[in-house]
Amino acid sequence: MGFLDNIILGFQVVMDPINLLFCFIGVLTGTLVGVLPGIGPLGAIALLLPATLRSTPTASIIMLAGVYYGAMYGGSTTSILVNIPGESASVVTCLDGYQMARKGRAGPALAIAAWGSFIAGTLSIIGLMLVGVPLANAALSFGPPEYFSLMCAGLIVVAFLVQGSMLKAIMMALVGLLIGSVGLDLVTGLPKFTFGIDELADGVGIGPTAMGLFGIAEVLVNLEQRFEGREVFKTKIDRLWPSLKDWKASIWAIGRGSAIGFFLGILPGGGAVLASFVSYAAEKKLSKHPERFGTGEIEGVAGPESANNAGTGGSLIPLFSLGIPATPTMALLFSMFLIHGIQPGPLFIKTYPNIFWGLVASMYLGNLLLLILNLPLVGIWVKVLKIPYRILFPLIILFCLIGAYSLNNSTVDIFVMILFGIVGYLMRKFGYEGPPLILAFVLGPIMEQALRQSLLISKGSFMIFVTRPISAITLIIAGLLLLSTVFPYMKKRRIKYKDLKED
Amino acid sequence: MKAYDRGSSLFWLLLSAYACIESLRMGIGTPRKPGMGFMTFGAAGILGIFSLILFAKASFEKEGDKVVSVFSGILWKRVLFVLIVIICYAKFMPDLGYLISTSLLMFLLFLILKGTRWWWALGSSLLTTFLTYYIFSIGLNCQFPRGVFGF
Repeated sequence: MGFLDNIILGFQVVMDPINLLFCFIGVLTGTLVGVLPGIGPLGAIALLLPATLRSTPTASIIMLAGVYYGAMYGGSTTSILVNIPGESASVVTCLDGYQMARKGRAGPALAIAAWGSFIAGTLSIIGLMLVGVPLANAALSFGPPEYFSLMCAGLIVVAFLVQGSMLKAIMMALVGLLIGSVGLDLVTGLPKFTFGIDELADGVGIGPTAMGLFGIAEVLVNLEQRFEGREVFKTKIDRLWPSLKDWKASIWAIGRGSAIGFFLGILPGGGAVLASFVSYAAEKKLSKHPERFGTGEIEGVAGPESANNAGTGGSLIPLFSLGIPATPTMALLFSMFLIHGIQPGPLFIKTYPNIFWGLVASMYLGNLLLLILNLPLVGIWVKVLKIPYRILFPLIILFCLIGAYSLNNSTVDIFVMILFGIVGYLMRKFGYEGPPLILAFVLGPIMEQALRQSLLISKGSFMIFVTRPISAITLIIAGLLLLSTVFPYMKKRRIKYKDLKED
Repeated sequence: MKAYDRGSSLFWLLLSAYACIESLRMGIGTPRKPGMGFMTFGAAGILGIFSLILFAKASFEKEGDKVVSVFSGILWKRVLFVLIVIICYAKFMPDLGYLISTSLLMFLLFLILKGTRWWWALGSSLLTTFLTYYIFSIGLNCQFPRGVFGF
């Protein structure tokens, strides 16, 4: 089928009423999740995973992807109006977005964030179509050594990017590999680490684990603080169409943010969060007046908000073309496919064109819906922002409990979720990060299979990982990142990057 | 944080030791023919090494002047209460049924904060329970337990 035929197929798929409905539910939920601090897209997708059991894979991926890129739109609203990021990819938007609101320019800030997200999102979808298919064809020549090395590199990059200690992050990735190995062995079919519990023969469920680590744990961390009302900046939100001057100031930032976000999103461990920080740093560096950043510069909103949306499109590429989830959020989408008996990988686009092109078309539509939801209807989200956490947290807990139970109609899953909730809470208290654990948890079984196959091919020689060019290059990059935490001058640069995040 | 790092690193060291022993029991095989425990032995071994590094780092680096407990100044009783409530919910939901257990759960969670009126918490818990029952059970065909009372 030609390129245009595929696009038409995609729109035919998305125009199915059920798929349209799921697209709307996804973007609406994503915006809600992005607006409300307390649960991010990762937790929301974990909560919705059980609901996807009762729908088709196409509708499920359309909805979950909608939650992911929808959260990027919603996160900017809270950042600009309340100075609290709704989700982590909107942290930098607080720096200039809130300052713009304080100067009575909340409307232009919200408008340029929404328009930038729309343009970048649209460009990244085009990129997904143009890059995804050729990369999938190239990936057919990848073997087990390349896959193992790519996954190792992805884990190391995620560990490199966490805010805390890289040592602790790598430890969590290793713990994730161990938890992921629970269940029946791939080759022998014998139980591993099941402790004689029958329910663990299928492994530890991704749904309860993710809901516990990111849903319950987040609620527990928030509960230990005194609740103070969220101070929504009281200003009339008008001029939701940016002026010519605003467009002139922002258009290049939007373009640069789109490019940065898309290419960083493709990298294992990259994604929307990294993209937004790099974009902000780039805009500040390129600006004629860098000293004005942090006081309400519109480029400081346009660039990062474009980058985080472009990152969502980019991060779908490794998932569909290589079958490797590049970020923890993609790991959950990957799990959703496995639940439906579909294996993402190089043959995915050829085998399931309806799903891939249906998703692509839904993203065009979803971006349009989000523009409408976030601009003319921004007043609704301002009201939502004022919902007290005392009402939100019981609902989040309830949805987690229902979600965990409904997977297998078993209370064992609820107990698993509570256990990981406690583990997640303690991890945060003691400075350990959850994302490397959940990514390793999902990648673990695939990595083990790739490792064993590689060693069988090489008759036991580990040199196979360095004699094959792609594998060698990937491992060298991962090795350099690891060494960067040892060499002082690279360490200083990493500290500078962390300081930028903390500022 | 250094004391917590020492404690947590010992925990991970114990976990890695257990995983290594289990992996050896399962059989690690050889590089030529990797066994069931091959990768877990490797992962656990590296985890053990990193745990020792973390322990050493925490032991030999200078602590700051003021050491503050991560549990001080926080409403830990609230956290503990919520945990107990949801554990009890998981334990008793099959017996009491979804409607009763969820109503009780939501009532307690809404009531947890000072200043919340009991009648507001009761009304909200019942509303939430029936709404979610309708959406998930009837709309999405989730099979919630009926409990000994049959509903």
